[in-house]
Amino acid sequence: MALLHGSRRERAIDLLFLLPILLILAGFLLYPLGYGIVLSLHDTRGFELTSFAGLDHYAHAILGDAVFHRSLLNTFLFTGAAVVLLPGVGLFLAVLVSGVNGGRAFLRIVFFAPFVLAAVAVGEVWKFLYAPFFGVAATVGTALGFHAQSVAPLADPNTALWAIMVAFVWRFAGFNMIVYLAAIQALPREYYEHAVLEGAGRFERFRRITWPLLWPHTFTLVLLTTLGTLRIFDMVWVMTEGGPSHATETVGTYIYVTAFRYLQVGYAQAMAMILLFLILLLTVVEYRFFNRRATQVSS
Amino acid sequence: MTGLRRPRWSTVLLGVLAVVWLYPVVWTLANAIRPSADIYRAPWDLPWPPAIGNIGEAWNRGRLGAALANSAYVTGMTVAVTLVVSVSGAYSLTRLRPPGRAVLFLLVLAPLIIPTDVLIVPLFSMFRAAGLIDSLPGLALFNVVANVSFATLILTGYFRTIPQDVVDAARVDGAGRIEVLLRIVVPLARPGILAVAVLVAVFTWNDFGGSLVLIQKPDAFTVPLAMSRFTTFFATDQGLTFAGMAIALVPPLLLFLVLQRSFIQGLTAGAVRR
Repeated sequence: MALLHGSRRERAIDLLFLLPILLILAGFLLYPLGYGIVLSLHDTRGFELTSFAGLDHYAHAILGDAVFHRSLLNTFLFTGAAVVLLPGVGLFLAVLVSGVNGGRAFLRIVFFAPFVLAAVAVGEVWKFLYAPFFGVAATVGTALGFHAQSVAPLADPNTALWAIMVAFVWRFAGFNMIVYLAAIQALPREYYEHAVLEGAGRFERFRRITWPLLWPHTFTLVLLTTLGTLRIFDMVWVMTEGGPSHATETVGTYIYVTAFRYLQVGYAQAMAMILLFLILLLTVVEYRFFNRRATQVSS
Repeated sequence: MTGLRRPRWSTVLLGVLAVVWLYPVVWTLANAIRPSADIYRAPWDLPWPPAIGNIGEAWNRGRLGAALANSAYVTGMTVAVTLVVSVSGAYSLTRLRPPGRAVLFLLVLAPLIIPTDVLIVPLFSMFRAAGLIDSLPGLALFNVVANVSFATLILTGYFRTIPQDVVDAARVDGAGRIEVLLRIVVPLARPGILAVAVLVAVFTWNDFGGSLVLIQKPDAFTVPLAMSRFTTFFATDQGLTFAGMAIALVPPLLLFLVLQRSFIQGLTAGAVRR
């Protein structure tokens, strides 16, 4: 039985199966992370290090760069809205879909399909939906009495970010719905039957049974949304490139522009490290908050 | 919730929402075969007679054939490498006993909260030094890095459902580790492996950030990249632009429709397990 309990040599062989993934992560995640820290502490010419800059880049980003501040604000506003809207709309759809008898499979496909489309494709499609004159926003807007030329949500600094949010919800709500739907269908039916006997209404049943029992799923979805949205780049880049006048600039787009257009590589990486720090921080905060709520709910 | 009396309004509301959700895709596909001149004039009309020529012209002028081939190549390579690496890793983490298994598990999953986006600058620098800019295998490598951790996470979930007794019994009978993996674990976890393959394929096919940075010459453009340039170059010819968009929309949609069961299963398994 030495084979099963594992001598040192046997367990070393077990480790060999894990070696490929460990090597990939060490080489292309850990190493770039270390190199990224080094980059962020240096001045650069092109992608070459020139001189040590200490924390200058960080200080400039945090204290002196109004565009970076704007991008942080936009990123947080966008993430905050996404964290409420994606699971919210997803749950709403899931509750509705779980209540119908026919066509559930079809509805699942309809709401989920945008998730499999490329961010570029979704961005381009919505860019055209928002286009002045022939876009849907313009057509509807004209019908409501606005001037065709003036209906251009992506060109208006006041609406651009939220116009992107609509496309974002369209793309990701279905994923949230799928997760909730699987969970709702696994909930014990007796709870609902019991609640009905006690005269609980539809809303009461949702509030007392569905919502608390779905809490772990809500946690997962909020966390996934946070992780996925703080880094948002592709859809914003395709739809507005961060414009007009930085109204939709996110940390992701600003890092890209700074590194690959202005070639301020060290500075761009300092901002990337700040973003990484914020992602880790929010993950820990959410994890703690939800864990506490989870123990409260179960006790 | 199911089977209980439901008010009618929810069915009506669902119908309206379904139309809203379908509309952008249908609109794009319809405009792809609408003569450019009609796009301004008649946005609500049926595109009849269809201007099929748009599709062919978009295909040729946007070099979409080459882009599709590049995307297929990168996606195929990424899926193959990711599967080999993550199946082997998940096997070790769940059904073998490497020293420090719990710590190794966390180590493998840690990248889930470190997106490759924040490392794009040092990664570009490394890839450039290694001569991997404009290289399709290089882009595949980038996508492997971006996908291995969640692939391994989902696979560990599936592998855990395989009874350890079955594995142990085979080992006592003299089967080696690789034999157990190929004869028992892989066949039993086939739905999970398929789900992971489909997910990785779609994520890689759709990747934009990686290819935007790592690919510069048009010959090596992937579909998302070709598309983003396309709409800029042919901005004045909407029929052509919509045709290009339609060509980019259809492959992942078809893949999803054919394999939607394993797709959804993989996603819910991954999301619910944590």
